[in-house]
Amino acid sequence: MIKNYFKVAVRNLWKNKGYSLLNILGLAIGLATCMLILIYVRNDLSFDRYNKNFGRIYRVDSDINFGGTHMVLAVAPDPLGPTLKRDYPEVEQYVRFHDLGGIMVKRGDENISETKVIYVDSTLFDVFSLPMVEGNPSTALVSPHTVVITESIALKYFNTVHALGKTMIFNGSEPYRVTGVIRDIPDQSHFHFDFFLPMSQDNQSRGNIWLSNNFNTYILLRTGTDPASLASHFNEMINRYVGPQVQQAIHTSLADLKTKGNYIRYSLMPLGRIHLYSNKVGEFEPNGSIEFVYIFSVIALFILLIACVNFMNLSTARSSLRAREVGIRKVLGSMRKALIIQFLTESILVTAASLVLAIGLAFLLMPYFNQLSQRHLRLGLFTDPWVIPGLILLMVLVGGVAGSYPAFYLSGFRPIQVLKGKLAAGFRRSNLRNTLVVFQFFISIVLIIGTIVIDSQMNFIRHKKLGFDRDHVLIINNCYPLNDNARVFKTEVLHMSGVKDATMTGYLPTSGNRNDNSFFKSPSLEQTGAIQMQTWSIDEDYIPTLGMGIDAGRNFSRQFPSDSTGVILNQAAVKLLGWTDPVNKRLYTLKEMGSQDQIVYHVVGVVRDFNFNSLRQEITPMGLFLGKDNGSLAIRINTDDISGLIGRVEQKWKELAPSQPFSYEFMDDDFNKIYQADERTGKIFISFAIFAILIACLGLFGLTVYAGQLRIKEISIRKTLGASILSILSLLSLDFLKLILIAFLVASPVAWWAMNKWLQGFAYHIGLSWGIFLSAGILAVLIALLTVSVQVIRVAGSNPVNALRSE
Amino acid sequence: MIELNNISKWYAVGGNKNYVLRDVKLSVKEGEFVSIMGPSGSGKSTLLHILGMIDEPSEGYHYFLGEAVHLMKEKQRSNLAKENIGFVFQAYHLIDELNVYENIETPLIYHNVKSSERKAMVADMLDRFQIVGKKDLFPSQLSGGQQQLVGIARALIASPRLLLADEPTGNLNSRQGEEIMELFRKLNGQDGVTIIQVTHSEKNATYGKRVIHLLDGKIEKETQG
Repeated sequence: MIKNYFKVAVRNLWKNKGYSLLNILGLAIGLATCMLILIYVRNDLSFDRYNKNFGRIYRVDSDINFGGTHMVLAVAPDPLGPTLKRDYPEVEQYVRFHDLGGIMVKRGDENISETKVIYVDSTLFDVFSLPMVEGNPSTALVSPHTVVITESIALKYFNTVHALGKTMIFNGSEPYRVTGVIRDIPDQSHFHFDFFLPMSQDNQSRGNIWLSNNFNTYILLRTGTDPASLASHFNEMINRYVGPQVQQAIHTSLADLKTKGNYIRYSLMPLGRIHLYSNKVGEFEPNGSIEFVYIFSVIALFILLIACVNFMNLSTARSSLRAREVGIRKVLGSMRKALIIQFLTESILVTAASLVLAIGLAFLLMPYFNQLSQRHLRLGLFTDPWVIPGLILLMVLVGGVAGSYPAFYLSGFRPIQVLKGKLAAGFRRSNLRNTLVVFQFFISIVLIIGTIVIDSQMNFIRHKKLGFDRDHVLIINNCYPLNDNARVFKTEVLHMSGVKDATMTGYLPTSGNRNDNSFFKSPSLEQTGAIQMQTWSIDEDYIPTLGMGIDAGRNFSRQFPSDSTGVILNQAAVKLLGWTDPVNKRLYTLKEMGSQDQIVYHVVGVVRDFNFNSLRQEITPMGLFLGKDNGSLAIRINTDDISGLIGRVEQKWKELAPSQPFSYEFMDDDFNKIYQADERTGKIFISFAIFAILIACLGLFGLTVYAGQLRIKEISIRKTLGASILSILSLLSLDFLKLILIAFLVASPVAWWAMNKWLQGFAYHIGLSWGIFLSAGILAVLIALLTVSVQVIRVAGSNPVNALRSE
Repeated sequence: MIELNNISKWYAVGGNKNYVLRDVKLSVKEGEFVSIMGPSGSGKSTLLHILGMIDEPSEGYHYFLGEAVHLMKEKQRSNLAKENIGFVFQAYHLIDELNVYENIETPLIYHNVKSSERKAMVADMLDRFQIVGKKDLFPSQLSGGQQQLVGIARALIASPRLLLADEPTGNLNSRQGEEIMELFRKLNGQDGVTIIQVTHSEKNATYGKRVIHLLDGKIEKETQG
């Protein structure tokens, strides 16, 4: 019996090639995009799962509110890890990571800059599952001047993975022995370091300072431990260890601090949540976000639903053509069940064809998608045991869902009615079909609004006035190796033609160093006048070079020697301090943590607020101090011969710092990097939204084809009575326009709610204007009209005699 | 074989009953060949559909092979029809996507006949109607007369005891029509199949042994063919 159904299905599909193509293609595009999204989402959800102890690893995060500044950190104090292991038996092991910036690694005659370098405790391999190709995991990171590297690095420097025992030269002269080679860290990891240096070499790791948070600290809990029960002890730990150090530093008890709203809290972040839920200060890499996992999953579902709805609509719209067959089969003795099975078989067959096409499409699209998403995703058809059963399940599900409505609808026909040809009238009055069309437009309009909002917000970020001028600024990275020659380098560069200004500092608004410290309004260091702010070390040329504005007072100047204890605050700092006339006011701070010596600064000026974080965050208080930081040289240029200028700067660099790598970038590129992730996800969203709209259009097109076919007699009669093509166009379009209007009314509030929620993630964002909604509505109408009219003009233009004669 | 008592069929139109059939009383014995005649709208087709159990009367008693059809549930009724009744239509109603062989085979599939038996039975039927050479053609490749032959072959394949034909020659030219009517006479005479046909043509009606004349939903008179 199945063979018979199969034959009929195949012949039917073949006979109506246009319809089949529309149906299969629409479904295939839907399935392909859906597959890509699912692979992306699955990839996002499987981060860090390569660890055998995945479920037992937690990162200890700090949450500090002090002096009006709230800090949510992915880092903790250096003694925290060892203390947890010592005091709490449920903690099986800990491992700390401490960033050491970059190193220079010698290869032959050149020094190569490496940035994926980290100090790590020797317990690394007890906690994380990083398989070692060569070396002994338990001793590899114990002694100083040893290093564990990844296979790629071994290949890069030694042309072989067998690098155990070999020596590497760091920073020009320091020899390090390779004590271990590990496999490259999987893509789906929240950190990707190439060089692991022993913590024993890092003096800060033994500082026992509870008031400074610099260590990413991970703990491995014993099997069966409830993390909440461990976390409940954190308060007593803070009282025991942090309290005395606070008392010593600022002569205030922890309890006193608390009464003024200050606090220190530690919390446990499960490893599995880091990639998608954690966006704190001190993360190793920008993480993903669960919002986008949700958004993408919903889009995948939407696309699939739209494709299914297409299928259902097209099948039922065509029902008049199949109705006769249903009637005959019933008279020949077919039971309803047999017919339902027949139509389900057909729809699963179509789905199977679509699926094969979709797999091909997904293969073709994968490189573009990877480029778009900056991932290394693979279809994994045969490597991943989950894929094939998943796809078969998807096929049966989609085939079943999409086929069920036509199956039940068609099989319910009464034979005498269909054999008498009384069915066509049913088309226009099908409430379910109208509902489905409304649903499709609802999704399309929501996606169009989403696309417009995301695009406008991205545009807004790109063109937002940031309080500094990021165009035409060339940055020479990592000038530390210049040492004493740094000033010479700056002076020489300033003398070059095409250079307008230059400033030397590691603290740039777009990237680079960040540092914050506490300041007080009075020498008694009272909490009420305290402020936690960014503390940046700059030179006198900083503000003019970067085109920042002075709001009050003046810039640093070489004419005032006392500027060495001067500070320029930003407006946010002034506001928090509550000063109306800030110039010449004083600020007090401790020389270093734990000491009694104070430094007094006087305010020389106020700089207009400028953004130095992503626009997702508000501008926080900041103080600029005069210092000698050789982090990088930022050059404002006013020449068209940029490459010539870079050549001359590089020449100078080579004279002053031979065999040190020269690297540069442009500030606007640097700025764009901050938004790469947002921009990327935005682009992915927009691409998929366009796909979804495209599929919806395919469906609408198919639907008009059949609406036209069914009403061809009516149209023909109207034409013989003298109707114009335009009036027929409006007659047929009106049906759809009504549906679009309903869809628009439902979609607008939903889209408003969703996009408003998304925009809340940005401290600086566009407003949701009526214009956006209106243009989305107009766009939807235009798309629909265009789709409908192509078909209607064809029907309306045909000779009415042909249609009327067939009766 | 068939017993209709006081069969009426109406449609409610704006609160009034619009009668298609009114108090029809008819009995047909096994082996008879009955023609139903009447002008358009007299209820011939409705009567035939009720006899074929693909339409239900609004009221009345309907017995088929001694069973009370009017008391049956739809599924039971369908099964009874499936086992005993074959249908021939004016518009042939072949399935366009199936070829001649497959069209004839379809009822057997619904009767759950095994594949090997089906083959033998369809081959027999093709032979009997002398359309073996056409078995791989699709309906669109056949003339009207040939299509109707296939339609009849399909109606007979499951060996029904009753053959119902709704203007079987309506779409055919007179020569083809005559051939079909000769075939009916042979089926009735030699194979003993009970036949009830609806027809417009006086001439075709005479092939039946009884002619029922319908007018405005009522049996006007009955004549001998």
